[in-house]
Order: sequence, then C-alpha cells, then structure tokens
Amino acid sequence: MPMGHTATAEAGSGGLTATEHRLANGLRVVLSEDHLTPVAAVCLWYDVGSRHEVKGRTGLAHLFEHLMFQGSGQVKGNGHFELVQGAGGSLNGTTSFERTNYFETMPTHQLELALWLEADRMGSLLAALDDESMENQRDVVKNERRQRYDNVPYGTAFEKLTGLAYPEGHPYHHTPIGSMADLDAATLEDARAFFRTYYAPNNAVLSVVGDIDPEQTLAWVEKYFGSIAGHDGKPAPRDGALPEIIGEQLREVVEEEVPARALMAAYRLPEDGTRACDAADLALTVLGGGESSRLYNRLVRRDRTAVAAGFGLLRLAGAPSLGWLDVKTSGDVEVPVIEAAVDEELARFAEEGPTAEEMERAQAQLEREWLDRLGTVAGRADELCRYAVLFGDPQLALTAVQRVLEVTAAEVQEVAKARLRPDNRAVLVYEPVAAEETDADAAEGTDEEAAK
Amino acid sequence: MTELATMDFHPQPQPGEARPWAFPAPERGALDNGLTVLRCHRPGQQVVAVEILLAAPLEAEPQGLDGIATIMARAFSEGTDKHSAEEFAAELERCGATLDAHADHPGVRLSLEVPVSRLPKALGLLADALRAPAFEDSEVERLVRNRLDEIPHETANPARRAAKELSKELFPATSRMSRPRQGTEETVAAIDSAAVRAFYEKHVRPATGTAVVVGDLTGVDLDALLGDTLGTWTGSAAEARPVPPVTADDTGRVVIVDRPGAVQTQLLIGRVGADRHDRVWPAQVLGTYCLGGTLTSRLDRVLREEKGYTYGVRAFGQVLRSAPDGTGAAMLAISGSVDTPNTGPALDDLWKVLRTLAAEGLTDAERDVAVQNLVGVAPLKFETAAAVASTLADQVEQHLPDDYQSTLYQQLAATGTVEATAAAVSAFPMDRLVTVLVGDAAQIEAPVRALGIGEVSVVSAE
Repeated sequence: MPMGHTATAEAGSGGLTATEHRLANGLRVVLSEDHLTPVAAVCLWYDVGSRHEVKGRTGLAHLFEHLMFQGSGQVKGNGHFELVQGAGGSLNGTTSFERTNYFETMPTHQLELALWLEADRMGSLLAALDDESMENQRDVVKNERRQRYDNVPYGTAFEKLTGLAYPEGHPYHHTPIGSMADLDAATLEDARAFFRTYYAPNNAVLSVVGDIDPEQTLAWVEKYFGSIAGHDGKPAPRDGALPEIIGEQLREVVEEEVPARALMAAYRLPEDGTRACDAADLALTVLGGGESSRLYNRLVRRDRTAVAAGFGLLRLAGAPSLGWLDVKTSGDVEVPVIEAAVDEELARFAEEGPTAEEMERAQAQLEREWLDRLGTVAGRADELCRYAVLFGDPQLALTAVQRVLEVTAAEVQEVAKARLRPDNRAVLVYEPVAAEETDADAAEGTDEEAAK
Repeated sequence: MTELATMDFHPQPQPGEARPWAFPAPERGALDNGLTVLRCHRPGQQVVAVEILLAAPLEAEPQGLDGIATIMARAFSEGTDKHSAEEFAAELERCGATLDAHADHPGVRLSLEVPVSRLPKALGLLADALRAPAFEDSEVERLVRNRLDEIPHETANPARRAAKELSKELFPATSRMSRPRQGTEETVAAIDSAAVRAFYEKHVRPATGTAVVVGDLTGVDLDALLGDTLGTWTGSAAEARPVPPVTADDTGRVVIVDRPGAVQTQLLIGRVGADRHDRVWPAQVLGTYCLGGTLTSRLDRVLREEKGYTYGVRAFGQVLRSAPDGTGAAMLAISGSVDTPNTGPALDDLWKVLRTLAAEGLTDAERDVAVQNLVGVAPLKFETAAAVASTLADQVEQHLPDDYQSTLYQQLAATGTVEATAAAVSAFPMDRLVTVLVGDAAQIEAPVRALGIGEVSVVSAE
C-alpha cells in the first residue's frame, strides 16, 4: 500500500493535520489524529448523489442509501445498526445532490468494527439485498417524504424552488427525496444496477478521524477493503454548468393551506470551491444571516412586516450554488411590500458594499461555524471527505476558514452586484388558502435525506 | 435473487481495550453577588459554552400573562443600558457568538456560545443583558407582535399541535403545565414592557441564578473575567419559592385533532411519570430505550422495519420539572407519524408491542445492547463544550448533584432485565395512556374507535 506523506500543520489549519493514502483498488483514505477524547469517526463518501439519477428514477440514490442498512454478506438484517449501537457508537447515512455519505462515530476500541461493517457492505451488499427490504424501505422512504415535505407547511418549497432554479433536464432540477411516482417505479434491478455502477472503492473516500493509531488503522483498512475490486463503469454525471445569470425572473405562486404569506427566492451563485463562493457566503451573511443582518433589521425590526427573514447558502460544486431567501410575512402584510424592501436592500448593498464592521461580523460568524464543524471528530471526518471528493484535496478542509477570512469587502460587493439581482433569481410566493381548497400542506427544505 | 461477492471475508473483529472516560466533574463556586458558578475545562474545545439559569419558572407568570417569561427571555438580547437592540445584536455577532434564550417550566435559560478568544467581550454583553436590560416599550411591543405571528405557524405544524393538545388533556386547567409554554394569542397580546420589567424585578437576580462555563479555558483567568462581568450584576438575596405538585389525568383516551386532507397522522401518546429523583429512573431510561429509543428498538422493528408505516417512532422520557423533595415529574411519551390509511393498523401494532412487552418482558440480549449503547455513547455525546454545559445546567435546574450523570452511568450498568421490564411496563401501561392524533378525522376516526384503546373525541385544529 503506497503511503501518503505525513502533513505538517499548515498555516490557518488550527494545528489540525491529515494524511492521505490510496489502496491498490482505488479507495482513497484520509486519516487525522486527535487524542483528546477516546472516540474515532469513520466517514465514507461515495461520489454519487441525486444528480446521477435518470429521468423516471428520482429518489433512487436516497432509497438505495436506506438499502445499505438492510444487511450485507456477513451482516444480517438490521445488523449494521445493532452492532454499531451495541458497541456504543452512533451512525447514519445521508444523500444530497452530489454525494452519499455513511458515518459511524465509535469509542476508540470499537473502531475496527465500523471498518469491517463498511467494507462488508461495500463489497457484498448484493448478497443480502432482496425484494422484502426493497418493498419495506420504499414504504419507509415514502413516509419520510410525507413527514418532512408533504405533511408540513411550506414543506415542498425546497423542491419547488430547486425545480424552478435549475431547468428541466438539469441534473439538479429534482431534489434527493424524489417523487412518489418514481419511488413507486423503482425496481430491485434498478437498485442492483445502481450498486454495481456507483458503489466501488475507486468511487469513494474513507476518512478516519480521532483517537487512532494511523499505522494500525491503515492496516485494518487494507485488510477489510483491500480485496474489494474496483471498477470503472461509472458514467459521468450530466453537465451541471449553467450561464452565470439566469437572465430573467422566474416565478411561481403557490396557493396552499399555509399559516402566512411567504416570499422565498433562490439566486444563482458561484460554484463551491471558488473564492467567489466564499464572497457570496459573506454577502448573504451580511444581508440575511442572524439578527444583525440588513434584511432582519429592515423587515423584522424596523418595518415590522416579517416574522422571520434570512438568507442561506446551498453550496454546490457541480452546478451553480443557490442563495436562499426565506421571508414569512407578519399579520396581513402582502408580498409586494416585502419584495420591494428586499430589492431595495439588495440594490443598496450592491451599490455600497459591506461596511468594515459588517465584514468583521460576517467573518466572525462564519469562523465560529467552521470551529463548530471541525470541533467534533465526526464533523472533521465529513469535511475531509467533502474536500477530497468534490475538490480532490482533503487538506483544503483544514484551511477553509482561512480562505473565508481572506475575502475582501470589494470581492463581496462584486459578487453581490453581479449576482444578487432580480433577473438572477427564481421566486416562490405563498398565498394561504382555506383548508377545503387543497389537500397539500407542508417545514423548511433541506438538501439532505437521512436513513434514520 | 442474490449474487455472490468476490471480496475476502474476515470474521467480525473483537473490540480492543476500552480507554477510560468519565463525565467531567465541574468545579463549583459562587461570586460575591451570590451567583452560583460551575466551570469545566475541556481541552481542545475552542468554542466555549455558557449557560445561565434563572429561577423564573413558568408557574410564576402572573395570571393572564402566559408567555411573559418567553418575552422577557427574548428581550434580554434587545438592548441594554449601553447598547440599542440593533447594536447589541451586532456586537454579539462581532464576537462570532450566538445567544439563545428560552423559558420553560423550571426557569429561564440563556445559552451563549463563543470562540474562546472573544469570551471576555461576549461575557460582558451577557452580563449587561442580565444586569441592565433596556426592555424598551417599542422593542417589547415588537417581540409581542412577533410572538403573535409565530403562533399560527405552530398551530399548523402537526408535531407542535399534538404537543399542545396533550398538555391540555393531561394537566388540570388550573395548572400552568396545561397551557402553551409561550402563551396564547390572548395572553401574549396582554404583555407590555412594564409587565416584563415587573416580572424581571420579581424573579431575576444573581442569588437564585447559576452560570455554567465549559470549554478550553487554557490561559483564561476566569475568576477575574467573571468578577468583571457577571460579578457586576446585583440583586436582593434569594427567597425560596414553593413549587406546586404536578398532577395529571392519564385515563386512557384518544383525542383526534382534525386536519382534513393530512397525508399522515401525527401520534403523541403520553402520560406523566417519575423524574430523575426517583430510584426507578435508570431502569425507566433503559426500558424506554428498549421500547422505542432507536430504529432497532421494539416499536420501530415492527412499525418501520417490518411494516413500513412510518419513518420512525420514538419513546422517550423528558423531565418537566423537578423539586429537591422529589415531587417532580417527567413526560413519558411515544411520538411519530404514520401514513393516514395505516393509522388504525399502526396503533393496533403499537398496542400489541406494549401488550407483548407486559406479557413477556425484555430479553437479556436487548437489555445488554441498550446498556452498551446508553453507556458507551457517553464520550461521543459529550465531545462538545455545549453538550457538557447543557447537561450540567440540566442537573442544576433539576436539583441534582454535580456528579449525577456519572452516577447514572454506573446505575444503568447495574440495572437488570427484570427491573428494566418492570419500569417500561409501568411507564407505559396500556390503559393509562392519552393518545393525541393530529390527522384527517374523516379517515382515521372509525378505525381508531374500533381499536378500543379509550374514548375517542374529535377537536378542530384551529
């Protein structure tokens, strides 16, 4: 097994280090030692998400993720959950547009078990996958969809807005949960083919972080994963590239049984991994992150036209990212009042740029968010996989906060001016109707689906 | 329909030797103003967590002003004698800090998280908020309006709606616990800044408060820092507050909150039982976990992994309020959502699970796995400063000793299958459960009546 270099801590990495290795079958491995607490996190990212799905089979990547917990060659039924929990570990899996991840956090002395379990399903899932699991998990996922999207107010907003922001046929046009019709249509053979295509060691990155002995850990990884054959049959995902600007304002009015009017919008923003994306993150934080942001001050504090107002960033590497606006109106305030105020604030920001104090606040907020994410072994393991899978270099995870702190006010203003414009957004307006007129009703969208 | 794998299989590995870990023991002290302080150094945790507990319980809210503790909690971050509301929010965010505040039955709690490098500044702001909150008329008025705007959103949320109904059913109308924690439209609308200030003056003072500080405190002179910040807060001496006993009516019955067209039914099945002062608590935790703590527990094994009726159903015990004399109580409940057409069959299966548990008990294997999980996950669960601070604060709020959590782990490990079974069965007796169903009455009422799990009534969602 070729050993990677042992990295020394880079500037801005907070003293954290990571080493990289690759097995002969193509599995990339990232290790990061930290002995503060006797725990170790295992994280496995497969480079497959809902963007790889084809027409008529939306939701398959996520449904498949559920099937990964239904047993494999040497693991019976729910054994994966039972064994990890019985060892004092915690675990789950999630599916997003761009990847599927599986993770276990274990007491140090149980690390080997987690590696054995992950290898077993990577190498032998199809030895256990049967119709019974498929039918059962299809029902579970349909109930997940109902619970998180269809049965809560505004629950389908994320799906609707994504559908507007990315054109028909675009790999990000549909969300990971998929449609009920497609979930019904998926077959066992689809699941088997999905596994054979995407679940290969050379399409995955494994990170192990925490109280570990790197040499011993690598030996275990080689022992359990080393004999799983790699293969190259994976089709490239459809191209997610789009022009920088939508060029018109896309709009949908939803009349549903919701408690209040709402204005939501998705702005097309630079791809994750670029300095411009970090600049956009800062712009959205100044404008709509927290209770000192421009939109919160304007709509909630001063105009008192909204009960909640904020911006979020959905970072995406294979397609433009989305800047996510969500405003719920106060009392009987109408949406055009909100929209005019938002447009005015965005235009003023593009004209003036952020103040020095706003930059300081936004950078301090994003810095704390990074400290939080890297503050647990599981969070660090996930970020190392993310940078390895999406950008080819796990070390970038350890310096991400530094890059955010280097962005200048001029760059923030530039991205706001270029992107946060009315002709670069998809808008979703909610108008409440009485109960009798509808049967759909719906919480906030998310880009991740979890198995548990 | 399976295929052979080509990998080399190895036997399941055996665990190595467990490395010792213990729940951190805090250091306890007090400031000159009477504020109790618990501190705990956690190496590597750069984001420090500070919890402030104030002895302003919901039952102290004046008649007709339910929600005033919530408004006061929120108003702490809306300006002080040094900063306007907007400036205060800006200064906190400039520290990279978050400050949450909420009011619950035991009292008001403020939670600050901040990178250690900016702890002094953030503690200064927190102290200002407690010592000299502005409670400006216009800010309180805005918070009241904002709170009124939130209520319809909660009513429309099936899980929130179910919780509200269960409280109303379980507790007598005279009990504060029967009514929404954050007030109703009528009571919130009656709150103004004078009332908030009066509530603050009556119930908020350092002598009855506690601060919990957890994180990597290397190089931090915490005594000096606390003295300069929270130490400047003054107030009168502590006075004991009598706590009314918790009573509840758990006669088995069903309330359907009608939500026409709902594609799922939200279930909340509950009653009131022992809190952490009761010797049964460890066995109750264990038994409840075996019943519905996770995806491999009894409820989900059937309802999710066999039948596919749900994304997940959980059983849990949550302390409502504790008292030093042991008269406190916890809410014991089962919650989840099931698809509308399978509501009857899912409840039928749920009761079968309870019946089987009562008839046959837990197995030793189930008990063992549960103990291994509940005790084994401790080092994972308490990795962050925030998790440690929150548990230490819970202990204080519930009048428990500072070493309660570590003792609990020893007790769990010593609890046998028979005790866990007995505790689970008495926590969830089949005929003493109040079932709230938020769903489409036209579709679920008849099948639920047919189950015979208690008298069924239907109420409107609004």
